[in-house]
Amino acid sequence: MLTLVARRVIRLAVVLAGVSLVTFAILHVSGDPVSLMMPEAPEADRAALRQSMGFNKPLPVQFGRFVASIARGDFGQSFFHREPALPLVLERMPVTLLLTVLAMGLSLLVAVPIGILSAVRRNSVFDHGTTLVVFLGTSMPVFWTGIMLMLLFAVHLRLLPVSGWGSWAALVLPALTLASASTPLLLRIVRSSMLEVINLDYVRTARAKGVSEWLVICHHALVNAALPLVTVAGLQFGLLLGGAVVTETVFAVPGVGRLIVGAIRQLDFPIVQAGVFLLALIVVLVNFAVDMLYLYLNPQIRVR
Amino acid sequence: MKRWAVLAAVLPLLTFAGAPAPACAQTKDALVVGLVAHAPTLDPHMHFERVGVLVNINMFDSLLHRNTKLEFEPSLATSWKALSDTQWEFKLRKGVKFHNGDTMTAEDVKYSFDRVLDPKKKSPQYGNIRAIKEVRVVDPETVVIVTDKPFPLLLERLVFFCIVPKKHVEAVGDQVFGTTAAVGTGPWKFVEWKRDQMIRLEAFDQHWRGRPPFKQLIFRAIPETATQVAEIKTGGVDIIRNVSADLVPELKTHPQAYISSTPILRVHSVELDMRSPPFDKKAVRQAANYAIDKQTVVQKLMAGLGRPVATTVQPQAFGYDPEVKAYPYDPKKAKELLAQAGYPNGVDVTLHSAAVEFRPVFEAICQMLTEVGIRATPKMWDPGPAWNKFFQTDGKATNGVYFSWGNYSVFDADALLHPLYHTEPGGWIGKWYTRVEGLDRPIDEARSSLDQAKRKRIYSQIQQMIREEAPSVFLWTQYDTLAISKRVEYAARPDEWLWLFDAKPKR
Repeated sequence: MLTLVARRVIRLAVVLAGVSLVTFAILHVSGDPVSLMMPEAPEADRAALRQSMGFNKPLPVQFGRFVASIARGDFGQSFFHREPALPLVLERMPVTLLLTVLAMGLSLLVAVPIGILSAVRRNSVFDHGTTLVVFLGTSMPVFWTGIMLMLLFAVHLRLLPVSGWGSWAALVLPALTLASASTPLLLRIVRSSMLEVINLDYVRTARAKGVSEWLVICHHALVNAALPLVTVAGLQFGLLLGGAVVTETVFAVPGVGRLIVGAIRQLDFPIVQAGVFLLALIVVLVNFAVDMLYLYLNPQIRVR
Repeated sequence: MKRWAVLAAVLPLLTFAGAPAPACAQTKDALVVGLVAHAPTLDPHMHFERVGVLVNINMFDSLLHRNTKLEFEPSLATSWKALSDTQWEFKLRKGVKFHNGDTMTAEDVKYSFDRVLDPKKKSPQYGNIRAIKEVRVVDPETVVIVTDKPFPLLLERLVFFCIVPKKHVEAVGDQVFGTTAAVGTGPWKFVEWKRDQMIRLEAFDQHWRGRPPFKQLIFRAIPETATQVAEIKTGGVDIIRNVSADLVPELKTHPQAYISSTPILRVHSVELDMRSPPFDKKAVRQAANYAIDKQTVVQKLMAGLGRPVATTVQPQAFGYDPEVKAYPYDPKKAKELLAQAGYPNGVDVTLHSAAVEFRPVFEAICQMLTEVGIRATPKMWDPGPAWNKFFQTDGKATNGVYFSWGNYSVFDADALLHPLYHTEPGGWIGKWYTRVEGLDRPIDEARSSLDQAKRKRIYSQIQQMIREEAPSVFLWTQYDTLAISKRVEYAARPDEWLWLFDAKPKR
């Protein structure tokens, strides 16, 4: 059990190191931020700035310095905002997390009951209808879904605000949009894993004992069908954080995703590095939590 | 069952993390502007973002103001005169109050210039005023600005050069001043800034022009065009900028909004790589100019919101010569020139652009070039890092680049000619591949003379020269197009400013 946890922690560190390296490498081949910061300045001024920022050093040296400062919790000064990068990212993190968690909750709230119902009423009109909706859901890109929902609920029906951040009502459309990206897959997983267990012997035994159908499905069957769901939900969380980048832009939500997109355009290395690092950290932690949940949900793994 | 109960309890707990504050009431006397983003700071000296300028001008005053007819008007300076070729005297308005109650004096003016000119502060606007050697305080109501050589663009530069309160800035520090304590003399004073959400300003009772008609002014950051349009349709915002041609017809007839449009200083062109074939030959460059049906593109693809031009020099800029005529659309002539240049069977080229909003226009240009035999492949870039890398290194562009130039909102030919065609390192394109022999000297000459008649003459010569040499495919000027809520009376300005003191509620 302990070695399992230790192994997971090591994996966590390796992933984070890998993510930092890749972000660093991609950013440094993507352009010269100094030219963006001083578009009109003579080359001598630019060279001076480059030197003062350490851009004239070889890349491995720069990366070494970068890692050393991350270890101290220092992601550097944002070029664009002229402020430390980490607080700028942290300031926006609650917004992104709230959005993602809400979307996840919404997804599960829809996917679990409907998935179960589809499995129980396999091949019914309801099941086929669900399949069709799932199919549509997976085919629609998030930004498009967002704009369509906005047109319907905010522009035509005037039920909700178009965009912004400042009220619970403003949260509804972005959360719905984001949830639309993860619900279909979760629903499929619930349905198929339910189908797998629903005809197993122990379920039949339960029924034979005279346990009510509702209890059979929701207790005996669902607990066993939950493992794949938890796994996929954990992975989907990372996807949702990625989707938040788009959703935040469409609905003018002041989150990390929007900050990172802006920073990429401005070649604002410190912000991108801090943002990607923290998002990666969250994804890794969520997956870590999922692994732990596994142990909790499935005693067999614990024994092994 | 227990396990699920635990799970179910954890999820809602997590959602506490970022609970949003209650919605702010948006009242009738608030004017809401939708911008694609906020500048990184409210400090008017520490950024060069257009979206920042639009906010700053409503909070701060400069020495001079420009009215809607593009004439200079007194603002913090009531009068000005040149004492010599390099010295200008400005008389300051008396009794002007900063938002914190302090009175504006010559010391504040001097301090404002000094902090931009101080290399330690690394102001991105340093380049705009680097010609200023010194600002001298004569008495509390008089300053003299000394330039290192004759600087004809001085007054233009002073239209956006905000005056900040010395005592206050020194007391709170640059960082705090730019984020939570911005203080100016403008019509609105700072209330709060929620980053990436909104900047809220409030009318300043003691502003010297009087109170602005709207009590509150809010700048919301809305990156997505579709969202901005949805907001204006539902009354969430009152003004949005840069409405693209495809949206104009819909918003023109919308019950909530109207369109206000005006020619601005932005000019479109295809800059040609004169270092390599085929555009090293003048005849091919001219052929490309004959190949474009400018009128049709403007009418069909830009909703008529543009005007064909003869060269890249703008009709509104000082130095424009109406005698220089545009290349007419003449595909036959283009084919002849191409054949003369040694390409009777045509030639393949690749053109680049990051003007995503003008993608259909870019593709139409390439199609028109292809029809006369300059078979152009359009390569569209996202205006992100890849484009910047491409654009900033040594101009690796093969053959040419389609883009537009905003002239820094300076109404003078120099604001285009120097950055585009001069070959010194400060230039954008000229230093790489749009190189017209003998153009540097007249550009420099016109730049450092205060004799406006002489400058005009030089600019005429330059326009004739670039029309003949055709370093670019000269296209059209662009209009600035605002969508405005019907409850607000306002009109787009040729300098792309949002001077919202002029905005009034409609009854």
